[in-house]
Amino acid sequence: MIGARIPRVEDARFLRGEGRYVADIRVPFAVEAHLIRSPHAHARLRAIDIRAAMALPGVEAIVTGEDLPADLPPIPCRIPTHGDLEPFLQFPLARAVVRYVGEPVAVIVARDRATAEDAADSLVVDYEPLPAVASADAARAAGAPQLFAAGNIAAEWDFDIGKVDAALAAAAAVVRETFTVQRHTGVPLETRGLLAAYDRARGVLEIHGPTKVPHTNRATLADMLRMPHSEIRMIEPDVGGSFGVRGEFYPEDFLIPWLALRLRRPVRWIEDRVEHFAAINHSRESRFEVTAAADASGRLLAFDVRLVSDLGAYIRTHGAVVPSHASASFPGPYRIRNYRVQATAVLTNKTPSGTLRAPGMFEANFARERAIDLLAGKLGIDPLEVRRRNLIGPGEMPWFVGTESVRRPTVFDSGDFPDIFARTVAELGWDKAPAPAPEGAIRRGRGVALLVEPSALGPFEGGRVEIDADGNVEVVTGATSQGQGHETTLAQVVAEVLRVPIERIRVRHGDTALIPHGGGTYASRAAVMAGASLFEAAQKVRAKAIRAAAEKLEVAETDLELRDGRIEVTGVPGRGLALGAIARMLSPGNPELLRPPKETLIADNEGLAAVAYVRAVPSGTSVFAVHAAEVAVDIETGQIKVERYVVGCDVGRALNPAIVEGQIVGGVVQGIGGTLLEELVYDEFGQLQSGTLADYLLPSVHEVPAITALVFERVRSPTNPLGVKGVGEVGPSGVAAAIGNAVAQALGGGARISALPITPERVLSAAAKRGQP
Amino acid sequence: MKPAPFDYVAPIALHDAIALLERHGDEARPLAGGQSLVPMMAARLARPTVIVDLNRIVGLSGIVVDREAVRIGAMTRQAEALAAADLSAALPLLAQALAEVGHPATRARGTIGGSLAHADPAAELPVAMMALDAVLTISGPNGERRVPADRFFAGAFETAVKTGELLTEIRIPAVGSEGHAFLEIARRKGDFAVISAAVRLRLADDGRCDAVRIVLGGVAGAPVRCTESEERLLGERPGSGLLAAAAGRIPADAIELHSHHASRGYRRDVAPVLVRRALTLAAARAGAPGLGVPAP
Repeated sequence: MIGARIPRVEDARFLRGEGRYVADIRVPFAVEAHLIRSPHAHARLRAIDIRAAMALPGVEAIVTGEDLPADLPPIPCRIPTHGDLEPFLQFPLARAVVRYVGEPVAVIVARDRATAEDAADSLVVDYEPLPAVASADAARAAGAPQLFAAGNIAAEWDFDIGKVDAALAAAAAVVRETFTVQRHTGVPLETRGLLAAYDRARGVLEIHGPTKVPHTNRATLADMLRMPHSEIRMIEPDVGGSFGVRGEFYPEDFLIPWLALRLRRPVRWIEDRVEHFAAINHSRESRFEVTAAADASGRLLAFDVRLVSDLGAYIRTHGAVVPSHASASFPGPYRIRNYRVQATAVLTNKTPSGTLRAPGMFEANFARERAIDLLAGKLGIDPLEVRRRNLIGPGEMPWFVGTESVRRPTVFDSGDFPDIFARTVAELGWDKAPAPAPEGAIRRGRGVALLVEPSALGPFEGGRVEIDADGNVEVVTGATSQGQGHETTLAQVVAEVLRVPIERIRVRHGDTALIPHGGGTYASRAAVMAGASLFEAAQKVRAKAIRAAAEKLEVAETDLELRDGRIEVTGVPGRGLALGAIARMLSPGNPELLRPPKETLIADNEGLAAVAYVRAVPSGTSVFAVHAAEVAVDIETGQIKVERYVVGCDVGRALNPAIVEGQIVGGVVQGIGGTLLEELVYDEFGQLQSGTLADYLLPSVHEVPAITALVFERVRSPTNPLGVKGVGEVGPSGVAAAIGNAVAQALGGGARISALPITPERVLSAAAKRGQP
Repeated sequence: MKPAPFDYVAPIALHDAIALLERHGDEARPLAGGQSLVPMMAARLARPTVIVDLNRIVGLSGIVVDREAVRIGAMTRQAEALAAADLSAALPLLAQALAEVGHPATRARGTIGGSLAHADPAAELPVAMMALDAVLTISGPNGERRVPADRFFAGAFETAVKTGELLTEIRIPAVGSEGHAFLEIARRKGDFAVISAAVRLRLADDGRCDAVRIVLGGVAGAPVRCTESEERLLGERPGSGLLAAAAGRIPADAIELHSHHASRGYRRDVAPVLVRRALTLAAARAGAPGLGVPAP
């Protein structure tokens, strides 16, 4: 079962249009919420006159910041990294000041969305516009408008490992380049939504729509509402993608439940795409000033990095995690003993930001791998050879980078990097095929990127396995699913232990009422953490069943084996018990349990069920990956065609190779979007210019090549019983780096490909400047 | 994204539609395929109070191909036109342009007339229609009038259609033996063009060019006819040097459009490349020898 390439069990309902997303759920008496958002990037919010809007028939209520409790705390930052981020947190509705276009200032509740939007036309909001800062440089300039009393700098930190200055002085080759990564985001196919209803009879506030970390979100909401956790239930429906941006705690995650309590009616909010672009976490916007040095043989001596990260107008739940990861992981899979980074997280009048798939890694990999190619060019050494000479070897594991992120040291737990590199390079066949010659205006190039992707971070996970009287298995996990196929892979883990066919296993996820504590799905942790917890729970169930069967059949436990949903005496077919029969035996209502010994307390009262919680792996698991791109560049128009893309990575153990490959391929497509097409463009006044799908360009099937995912199971992770490593973010992580290197090689002449996205205009500019210093 | 309140009428006779549009003036909008209007209404960028649905009116769609001309009803779906074999055979340039218009889903509803009347500066069909010397029939309260394509497109989203009028038919004179090309640069397949070029080129028996049309799209409010480039070619035998020289004469000053997807500078730099490639392709298709394999 583990390792089987079975089709995903969840796909049948998705493909038939039978999924149940939050917008599909209807409850009687529900009203619709519509958030009114600031059109100014920076302004004093003087007054809101709701009278004309309230007069419209069908409008139930209009609330502003003044209607919220005066002592309501802001939305917390839940991931500590660097600095004191408290002064920069966001309240669910703006009070005296608005700080980004899209910031919620009021909520209109009406019988339907159209009525609410009609009412919005009559809402009078008195803003006094203030000067805005729309870039990190503008925010740090002398005399710049300050977003907060505490200023525009959220945090600054640094690492200083080894002797960087000495290494730079002794180097045979030094390159200096500034790399910029554009602001972009995750763009799930389904926008956000919430349906909150307070059941007065049972005293439960039930919320459909949360995802990613519902238990954590419940705790945050309970604190903000001053309600017991046990009175809030969050239920994850089917979810159309997240990529990290959906499922964090946003202003709406407080407002909608709060309104349901206040209005004593169910309240529904379905985000539309235009508001999504201004409201969802943005990410990745950063600048790396890199100095990289090597000796004459191509040995990398030092990296010296100045990192400036633009986090938007507020610190949200993820704080400064993105630049934190970037600064900690910059050295990559190489033996770097001298590394210095100075990092600054800056606030600007733009949508706040958070994590996006491969957070900080996509950016750092681009800057580092481009710098390595520049060094290789300067030294006249083949870029693959430079990498080969610097890769950390298997005998050096675990490797301590010397940095930390989220208060944990950056450690590579295991892996044979040179072996995976060699196997992937062999598959590429570049040594056998010479670099293609120019063809008219077309220039072809090849590029690679090597990286280590951390996964399985986060404190714990829990799971429950129960076999019922019919032998069906119900699995409950604290993890969630946004399309990764967890209903399949986690069932495979349980099937492997219990020897029950997949069809008889159902996985439930994301419901705080079904399991009291849950870690959630992020940082590619579900296969490792949810998998490990369910592995342990299933082992407990198996042990329990064998013990009960041994007692009933009066044989030794060692004489029994588990097969096809039955426990049988080895070598005696027909002498055994079905798992369902054992479940019936163990259920508290079973009369047999009430016979001697005559104790009132029914020990072991859960039936054939078990729960297991597992602790985190402090520094997670590490997946080594090789990305390789072949591109064709039209040097007269600047257009780029990616002709071939290969990813080779060591996942330790693949629970379902088809799903692993799918994760990688989908991730590469997302990475191509971030490398060539996607950008959240702001003008200097903080106005979002690319806030619709007409302007924000997502890749389609036409923009991507055939993508090959080479999934190796070379070194099992020592951190968990399954030996699995989390692979979900490997796909996008190296794409900008590999394609950037390929385009630079196609253009030749030391072309500077240093800014993302790599647009046709940037290609023409780089081509024109070849040979210039 | 819900539209502001509006009234909806679906007449079955053309004269009723025209009467409604005339009566309500700027408050009314006609609805053809809806692929441009409806998203604008959803975003409340357009707020017509009356929608006059044209989809029930009989006789406004259809393709008639004869020896003299091709006539296309304005309500003909783009998908239908793309699938019409006789249209592709008679007007391969139009078929190539249609293949670049949006995606199969939008072409299923979008209409030929709707795209032309909307006149987005980046649209492909206006460029093709100008290159093909199309004549557009506008119906209004005072009857019909015919406007040639090069006077129909006045600027960005501006045409010769006045309030109370409707574009009802497009007539394209038959093309003889000639070469053609429609090329486009867009950020993604199916997007509006950053630059598009439609070229027709005819060679006389002696191999000299005796007729040529070069039209650029995506560079200004309306498509730009490159008459200086055309004049450079007339009477000459097309060779790669001549074609490059002709492409170099496109009016740079007429290239004005600027967006974060492509700056004005990019369009000015790359438009000659696109025109050169389209001329090469068209000339080769017209039978000019020795032009080599044109770049994709």
